[in-house]
Parts: sequence; structure tokens; C-alpha cells
Amino acid sequence: MNLARVRGTVVATQRSDKVEGARWLLVEDCDQGGAGKGEYLVALDMVGADRGQLVLLTQGSSCRWTSRTDDRPMDTLVVAIVDAIDQGGVVRWPAADEAQTAPKAGKGAARGRKG
Amino acid sequence: MVLARVKGTVVSTHKSPSMQGLKLLLLEKVDAVSLKGKGDYVVGIDSVGANAGEIVFYVTGSSARMTDTTKGKPSDATIIAIVDEIEKDGELTYDKGAGSAGAGA
Repeated sequence: MNLARVRGTVVATQRSDKVEGARWLLVEDCDQGGAGKGEYLVALDMVGADRGQLVLLTQGSSCRWTSRTDDRPMDTLVVAIVDAIDQGGVVRWPAADEAQTAPKAGKGAARGRKG
Repeated sequence: MVLARVKGTVVSTHKSPSMQGLKLLLLEKVDAVSLKGKGDYVVGIDSVGANAGEIVFYVTGSSARMTDTTKGKPSDATIIAIVDEIEKDGELTYDKGAGSAGAGA
């Protein structure tokens, strides 16, 4: 599973995925300190992730091993919100400069579109 | 799922019987922020009725066989949605209704 940051949302009405109540997130590949790599994907939100949060992505056929995505054409899921990462005794996440700005893991989804 | 722009169609008359009736589209992967093409092209099977110029996202691998259109078909890239809007950090980077938001339309 890869780490990614939630950067925004993607809206699509013409779809063939048949996932009910689907919410699409724009996520950016990032390192364990939350620094983005400039590579973006569209992911199905399974956990109510918020903009700025560090999340765990599941990709490939493993994405179909949930009740919502069974037999659905899904290949990228947000399956967890990361609270903390410790790398050899050093806290990498939340990063020092992110601690104030990163929303806390939990409920509440950023659905705002224009500011 | 990967964001791409539909750049055209791909036609094949001599093909596996299992590929009959599938619409092949030429897709160029795009940057989610600038909407500019990355120069990276794939051929995808259409399952939503996408047209040239539209921003779509597609699934790859075995998940590409999971739409009604591609069940049991040898597809490894299937378009599953036509994008209306992309929002990043509170701002729309793409708005289909507003015309050609972003570059590279």
C-alpha cells in the first residue's frame, strides 16, 4: 500500500462503476513525511478522508475485496487515514510544519469546491 | 484510477472475436492540476460513452473487466467515468460545464 495526500475531489455523473454513494478524491503520491511527488490519482473514498490528510491507498485487484467494491471496476481506494508514522524513532508524520495545518483524522469531509 | 483526456478513436477490423463491439479510444494521461497532457498514451475501452476532448478516468488491470461492457472481455484499461469537475485545495482545476478550464483542451 502506498501513502498519499488528499488534495481535492473529483466529480463525475456519467459513470459505469455502479458504486453507490461514491465519493472520489484527488490524491497525490507522497513520501512518509507527507511531501507530494506530483503524481495524482483518482481514488474511491472508503473512510471519509479530508483534504490535507495522509492516507493509505490500496491499488489493483485488492480494491475489490470490500463489500462496496465487490465485482466493481475499482483499482484505487483510500482505505485508511494515517495518524502517525515513526521511522526509526523519528516522528515523520505529522510533520513538524504540518502539525498545525493538517486536519485531524476522523469525521467530516471537505466537500467545498470554490473556496 | 488515472485521469486522461480522450484524444481520438482507435479502429481495428481484424481482432479477437472477444473484442468485437468494443469502442477503443486513444487516451493521453493528464496532470490533475494543469490538465496538460503528459505525452503518455494508452488505448482504453469505453464503457460510458466518452467523446474526444473529454476528461475521463480509467481503471487498469483485472478491474478493467468489471464493467457491464467489458465483463469477460480482454480489456486491461477501461474508462469508467466522464469527469465534470476536479477540485484541488478548494479551487476548480477543471470544470466541464465552464468549457475548457485548464490548458490543453
